[in-house]
Amino acid sequence: MSQVTRRELLKSAAALGTAAALSPALARTAQAQTTQKKELIVAQSGDISKLDPHFSTSSNDIRWSFNLFDNLTSRHPDGKLYPGLATEWKLTAPTTWTFKLRSGVKFHNGDPFTSADAKASIERTYSPDAKTMVATVLTTIDHIETPDAGTLVIHTKKPDPLLPARLAFYGGQIVPEKYLKSVGAEGFNAKPVGTGPVKLGSWTKDDKLVLEANDAYWGGKPDFDRLTMRPIPETAPRIAALLKGEVDAITQLPADQGERVAGNATTRVAGALYAGLYVLAVNSKRPPLDNPLVKQALSLAVDREAVVKELWRNRGIVPSQPIAKGDNHFDASLPPLAYNPNAARDLLKKANYKGEEIFIETTVGYLTNDKQMSEAIQGMWKDVGVNAKVEVIEYSVRAQKNREKSFKGVFWSDPTSTLADPDGMMWRLLGPGGPQDYWRHARWDELGNNARFSVDEKARGEMYKEMTKIFLENFPWIPILQPYEDYGLQKYVEFTPNPNQQFEIRRFNFKFKRA
Amino acid sequence: MRGVLGFLGPKLLRALVAIWLVTTVVFVVMRLSGDPVPLLLPPDAPTSEILRVRRELGLDRPLPVQYLTFAANILRGDFGRSIHFREPAISVVKGYLGATVELGLTAFVLAALVAVPIGLLSAIRRNTPLDHVAMGVALVGQAAPTFFLGILFILLFSLKADLFPTGGRGEWKNLVLPALTLGAFAMASIARVTRSAVLEVLRADYIRTARAKGVAEWIVVVKHTLRNAALPIVTITGLQFGTLLGGAVVTETVFSWPGIGRLAIQSIYNRDYPVVQCAVFLSAIMFIVLNFAIDLVYGLLDPRVRPKA
Amino acid sequence: MSATPAVMDSAVTVRGGAAGRRTARLALAGLAFVVLLGVVAAAAPWIAPHDPVRQSLRGRLGRPTLEAADGRARLLGTDQLGRDVLSRIIYGARVSLTVGIAAVVIGGLVGAGLGIAAGFRRGMTDTVIMTLADAQLAFPFILLAIGIIAVLGPSFPTLIVVVGLSGWVSYARILRAQVIVLRSREFVEAITALGGSVTRVILRHVVPNVLSTIVVIATLELARAIVLEATLSFLGLGIQPPTPSWGGMIYEGREYLDSAWWISTFPGLVLMLTSLVVSRTGDWLRDLLDPTLRGE
Repeated sequence: MSQVTRRELLKSAAALGTAAALSPALARTAQAQTTQKKELIVAQSGDISKLDPHFSTSSNDIRWSFNLFDNLTSRHPDGKLYPGLATEWKLTAPTTWTFKLRSGVKFHNGDPFTSADAKASIERTYSPDAKTMVATVLTTIDHIETPDAGTLVIHTKKPDPLLPARLAFYGGQIVPEKYLKSVGAEGFNAKPVGTGPVKLGSWTKDDKLVLEANDAYWGGKPDFDRLTMRPIPETAPRIAALLKGEVDAITQLPADQGERVAGNATTRVAGALYAGLYVLAVNSKRPPLDNPLVKQALSLAVDREAVVKELWRNRGIVPSQPIAKGDNHFDASLPPLAYNPNAARDLLKKANYKGEEIFIETTVGYLTNDKQMSEAIQGMWKDVGVNAKVEVIEYSVRAQKNREKSFKGVFWSDPTSTLADPDGMMWRLLGPGGPQDYWRHARWDELGNNARFSVDEKARGEMYKEMTKIFLENFPWIPILQPYEDYGLQKYVEFTPNPNQQFEIRRFNFKFKRA
Repeated sequence: MRGVLGFLGPKLLRALVAIWLVTTVVFVVMRLSGDPVPLLLPPDAPTSEILRVRRELGLDRPLPVQYLTFAANILRGDFGRSIHFREPAISVVKGYLGATVELGLTAFVLAALVAVPIGLLSAIRRNTPLDHVAMGVALVGQAAPTFFLGILFILLFSLKADLFPTGGRGEWKNLVLPALTLGAFAMASIARVTRSAVLEVLRADYIRTARAKGVAEWIVVVKHTLRNAALPIVTITGLQFGTLLGGAVVTETVFSWPGIGRLAIQSIYNRDYPVVQCAVFLSAIMFIVLNFAIDLVYGLLDPRVRPKA
Repeated sequence: MSATPAVMDSAVTVRGGAAGRRTARLALAGLAFVVLLGVVAAAAPWIAPHDPVRQSLRGRLGRPTLEAADGRARLLGTDQLGRDVLSRIIYGARVSLTVGIAAVVIGGLVGAGLGIAAGFRRGMTDTVIMTLADAQLAFPFILLAIGIIAVLGPSFPTLIVVVGLSGWVSYARILRAQVIVLRSREFVEAITALGGSVTRVILRHVVPNVLSTIVVIATLELARAIVLEATLSFLGLGIQPPTPSWGGMIYEGREYLDSAWWISTFPGLVLMLTSLVVSRTGDWLRDLLDPTLRGE
């Protein structure tokens, strides 16, 4: 198809206003979108910071660590839990889960996968020496037994019905015990070895990550020989690469560019309502952010509706609580977070706010629209008298600050609801010892702990209601929106996005449309 | 022989002083912000690493000793370890060098090849529309900030006209817009100087003599004019080659060209100071060496410098 | 070429005739442009049609129009946060002129100081300073600038000092040359032999000569400083947002080149025009006042 034709199509699609109203001409040329490709090329907004799955939970990293490694259980895009490296699991006693492990699985370096690896992986996540970023995910576990190579018995401190779901996500990736011990953490990060559908080919920083298909994968070889990830930090070139056919898929597609991708005859937009929230996480240790009244004011000063409407083209919802829509115990009766600049000004006066600087440290494009939202919110905060400053930082710097908890003020975070339950989001991240442990509140901590171990769903519901109430007085996060996370895909890519940001390329979710 | 040495001597001295100056400035600036160690190591570096680096830099010794240690390290090519890439800074920088050389050379050759004929034509066809347009464009080319020129080119020739890619390095098409952007200033300067140099020569007596003798016009132009105008033309061309390096930083950023200019900027954003230090220093050295080489060439060409027979 | 006769000539060497008058008119027009720009910058709060930092998410990425959603004109469109581009360009002139002029002053003072010191003390001081000057000329200053700003962090004072220091050499050379002449014995002897007073000669002839040369250099340097500041702001190392600066606006508009091209293009055109006019004015002034500078 010639360049001119494509441009005419683009123009006509734009004129029609929506991508759905395809003219007959468009439909005819769109139907024959197939390929014989053997290489899948994906462009995302930044390079990887860590390939070690226990040391990073950011979307740019987990897209790949979930493909290099397997978990015992696996959550598919349909939201259900499926067998992974474990084929069955049963609650064999009130505090005991027994997992039957898949046999015949080998790591990329040929070592066999056994229960010893599972045990070592899980214990590593909460080991104080390892200092992982997933230390609070599996802390319900008391001890693990490996009666034989194919069986894993996990004893929890208290009854934990969510354990299999926990193992499906961050921290549940299984790493090889022997290899890790022999190369150490840094060596493992440089040359990771897992059981996943792809293995590491090469990693040239800021250039590309090349992953080779694992021919012997237990779930079947994926529908490509090679998967290449190219970091393209700037949005315009990333989209241009998709439109020109240089890449097969792009991530972090902003809503106001989605129309271009949808209107183009060879590409489409696929999105999922994010199972999580985009929030401004607060370093509540830094004054004046240690004052709840200040944080309440900051929340009231944000016109979330305008952000969703103008920056996201309505592809998102205004949150009402720190629990994502779609999760257990989401309270539909709560109203969306309010916008009231006058009330905000009053609260600031009450709080004795003296004009101290409040920093918004933002990356550019790591979270879709992060910089634009930062500038908009800075303007909104300035309107109510806050001395707000935006500082742009590189993704690598953000990763560092995240590990050291050294942010200057507020920073963007996209907490994922890993269990479809508040325990997997606000408790996992904001709880004591968690990666965003900047704020403590005795009653909130007590409730969170109890809710984790209770099996009475009704009681849990009440506890989360009270936690939400405390949350909305103290705002350890300032939730901004729950967006649709969009991907741009070539039409010959058959792929369903996962609401939890995993880029699932295993056979059951990805294939090229072949003639 | 004495003539050449007498000519080269000061130039060599100047080059060496420039190198010394860069070393000193880099050293001073790094110390200006206080303790340089946090700049050179990742924050999660173990204490043993920190102690090792402190020892290597001689930070517990008096300042002059530190300076000498620093200079000695640099001469060995040791700029420390890149925080972002986790390998020696110098190997990182070396990896990006080729792209900058490719861009710079192309820009330069393009500039010279286009500018000299245009300057020549403008001089010969003085005060015609061709002359006015060419010199007008040259004026704009000299005044336009390089980065904005690049953006304009992207807007017009990549986005609106879809003739070239918007950036990156790959096939020859990727080289066109960056080379044009980088070479614009040089092209404009060389064209203007060529024009005035040729005009000067055209007015000269020996040209009139040649014409009076009935020598064909084009021979007059090419043989006599160019040969005599060569000196200022070569001078300006040589000068412009050096400035290309400075323009490369901006051009590489605008076009996402993976050269050391862009590396330096990215490393600043990444707070990767070992690489910044190394990139700045190596660029400076390259620049100084190039200039010295140009001085050499200039010296060989300039009859005033050649030793008397 | 002996320097003495040149100094003894009339106070200011002016290119005569019709060409000279035309050049003078052009130079005057150029200067008028600079003054106009200064006036616009100073009067920004009264001239700018809108608040340059007022955001309006609903009005973002608006095309240039005579009637936007609120009924008022956005002659050059709005940027990604709904701010009026024209107003930001007007306020951006403040940044460009402030940094430009401050840098010229700093460069001038440092350069003059070093030049006078070199000319006065000769010997080692002279050699050192002149080699320093040569070395700095032979160097892409922007590399040093980004290195310095990288470590010290971008801030207004750092920016002015860095841009200022980028241009001291031209002033130094001129001042040095003049001082050398003034100190030479032949000069003093020639003047006293002709029956004049050295002080009077300095005041009536040398100072105006030097001043006119400095004016030419300052003008050319102003153009260069404005472009350097814009370049540094474009790289994120200069004026930080949300303060409007032409370089910063061009940077912000980059990702919208295909959809909202006006965000980058208009500030860029204004920058180009300013650079062109100011540097041409410098050229014309040089033609008028001191053609001997042409070699620079």
